[in-house]
Amino acid sequence: MVASRLAFIKEVVGKPVTEQYPYKAVAVPEGFRGKPVIDPAKCLGCGACANACPPGALSIHDEDGYRVLRLFLGRCIFCGRCQEVCPVGALRLTREFELASTSRDDLVQEVRLVLEKCSMCGKPVATRREIVFVEQMLPADQRWLVHLCPECRALVSAKIIGYVRGCNR
Amino acid sequence: MRCDEFISRYDLENAVCLDERLVLVKAENTTEVSEKLLSLSPRYSTCVGIDYRPINRSYLVHHVLALDKYGLYLVLEARAHDPDPVVESITNLFPAANWHEREVMDMLGIKFIGHPEPYRLILPDDWPEKVYPLRKDYPYDRKPVELAEILERPTPRNYTVSIRRGSSVSEAEIPLGPYHPALHEPEYYELVIEGERIVEARYRGFFVHRGMEKLAESRLTVNQVAFLAERICGICGYTHATAYCQAVEEAADIEVPARAEYIRGILLEIERLHSHLLWFGVAFHLLGFDTGFMATWRLREKIMDLAELLTGNRKTYGLNLVGGVRRDIDESKAHAVLEALDFIEEKFKKLVRLVMGMHEIIARTKNIGILTREDAKKLGAVGPHARASGLDIDVRRDCPYAAYKYVDVSVPVMDGCDVLSRILVRFEEIIESVRLIRVFLREMPKGGLMAEYDDIPGLRIGIGVTEAPRGEDIHYVVTGRENKIYRWRPRAPSYMNLATVPHMLVGEKLANAPIIIASIDPCFSCTDHVVVIDRSSRKKIPLEKALRET
Repeated sequence: MVASRLAFIKEVVGKPVTEQYPYKAVAVPEGFRGKPVIDPAKCLGCGACANACPPGALSIHDEDGYRVLRLFLGRCIFCGRCQEVCPVGALRLTREFELASTSRDDLVQEVRLVLEKCSMCGKPVATRREIVFVEQMLPADQRWLVHLCPECRALVSAKIIGYVRGCNR
Repeated sequence: MRCDEFISRYDLENAVCLDERLVLVKAENTTEVSEKLLSLSPRYSTCVGIDYRPINRSYLVHHVLALDKYGLYLVLEARAHDPDPVVESITNLFPAANWHEREVMDMLGIKFIGHPEPYRLILPDDWPEKVYPLRKDYPYDRKPVELAEILERPTPRNYTVSIRRGSSVSEAEIPLGPYHPALHEPEYYELVIEGERIVEARYRGFFVHRGMEKLAESRLTVNQVAFLAERICGICGYTHATAYCQAVEEAADIEVPARAEYIRGILLEIERLHSHLLWFGVAFHLLGFDTGFMATWRLREKIMDLAELLTGNRKTYGLNLVGGVRRDIDESKAHAVLEALDFIEEKFKKLVRLVMGMHEIIARTKNIGILTREDAKKLGAVGPHARASGLDIDVRRDCPYAAYKYVDVSVPVMDGCDVLSRILVRFEEIIESVRLIRVFLREMPKGGLMAEYDDIPGLRIGIGVTEAPRGEDIHYVVTGRENKIYRWRPRAPSYMNLATVPHMLVGEKLANAPIIIASIDPCFSCTDHVVVIDRSSRKKIPLEKALRET
């Protein structure tokens, strides 16, 4: 009985394995899913990330002529779906994991982008960057349509179709 | 066997194939059909209640039966209608259906006629009558009404399971639980002891209800639910995410690329390794063998590092989406995994050999916590717990999914029916997991990681089944329209295994209760406070008072 215990102790005793964290930094591997960060210089404000985000940590809303993308880390599950769906690579998961804070504000990142107004009715359409991004993908003669809100665009399109078919009375 | 062959061979009436391995039987008379099916010795798996009124003005009750021998799952459908939805109970034929049917009664208000214990199970005692949270007309964000008034009513004490053998005059009642300051998943055991021996064991569970099904059905989109599913369990989450994705893939006929299936297989086995090693640690700790606990967890840490390397997180892998996986395993990562596995396998084998040489460990586990083969079968036990009681079932072999479709899995079965057998089964499983990961890494084909698919069609049924570290994990999905899920019902393996615990406790010594409860590998929680009972009046006395008077 004593022999079996001795053999066990002999097997398990070795160098300490406890890491001296937080006195010594702990390395995380490449590809670790840590704190997400939005690059305000790249963000279009399209909302693809907010749409994909499972816990609703990313949200998007319009206020006073601005589109606001808000990231609240208190809800984030670090899945990285936002990084996957962002069309311009503005969202990126970093390897940072020490997020504890005494202030709630430290867990919030907001990006505010100017909204362009509809060239006909003046309602907000989309962010200026989003419009430029879409314009580049369209043929030159259709680009002006992007500056209209969906309702005005439908109205204008209907008028054009009616004109072409000759029933513009 | 394919399901159309199965239907013609057993001449099932009103049966249709939903998928290669899923048979739907519409039953006018549930009891009659169930009696017929008994000859196939099915294993009761789960029951799903569906509020189908927005579609065809009826409620559906789907009993899911596993036919392990044939590798098939059979769905037995019964219908009920407003204003008084009623179906027949089949608990008398399948005792394992007891909790499932009660859950449907609680959540959807469908009555099961002939149920032996038609008491509340899931909802708290102070939940108002006739309010059914999983009905479609109940909004997900509504809070229960008029709680204060209801709180004043006497609360019924309907135990989830209560087992008693023998009678006695000098009894004491020892509560285990319900809350543990450190561990999650509260469970409450009330043990009546006579001297050192447990003469009566009652279990009451379901203290936590997170409303996940409702949340998934109302707020989330198809791919978002995969991340919620992963958070069902704090230990084996990835198996839930996989089962969910498989259910949707089956419902929508999505073919997952082989490489993605292999990656799922590798991660599932890594999860099993960390889960079983965690369990070994907890078991040793409960046996008072903390050196063993530390030694196992030191090894487990290597597995956690591997998971972090492969997925970007120690525990919540988050790699599954419907149709495939999100990250590849490249050469350098595969190499790191193989290297770590060699180290872990050698160390672990040595460790267990040394532990099994210790007289005290054997004495504390051999012939302790007996669950007979008959009881295990009757109560629907699954996983290593069932295999330690001689039931030869394992989803990975019986109804293969992911990478197990391509590789043979060896399934250890023991017939000791005691705690020691449960230790040995899990030991064998760790060795097998290590072998499987090596095979998967070697045979993993090249190719894409994600299937391409169009919109997911609505109102299709899919079942995703995986062998979680604790046993069969089944997810039942009815797809919805506009990228939503209409009904999602996950059933974790501990749901089946917990019902067996009171059967194992009665007749044992009190000191063995913790290891017996832990031997099924629940997320164990207990507090060790005492209730003192006045023998003459049978009333509980506050502990301080009892201590003062003695």
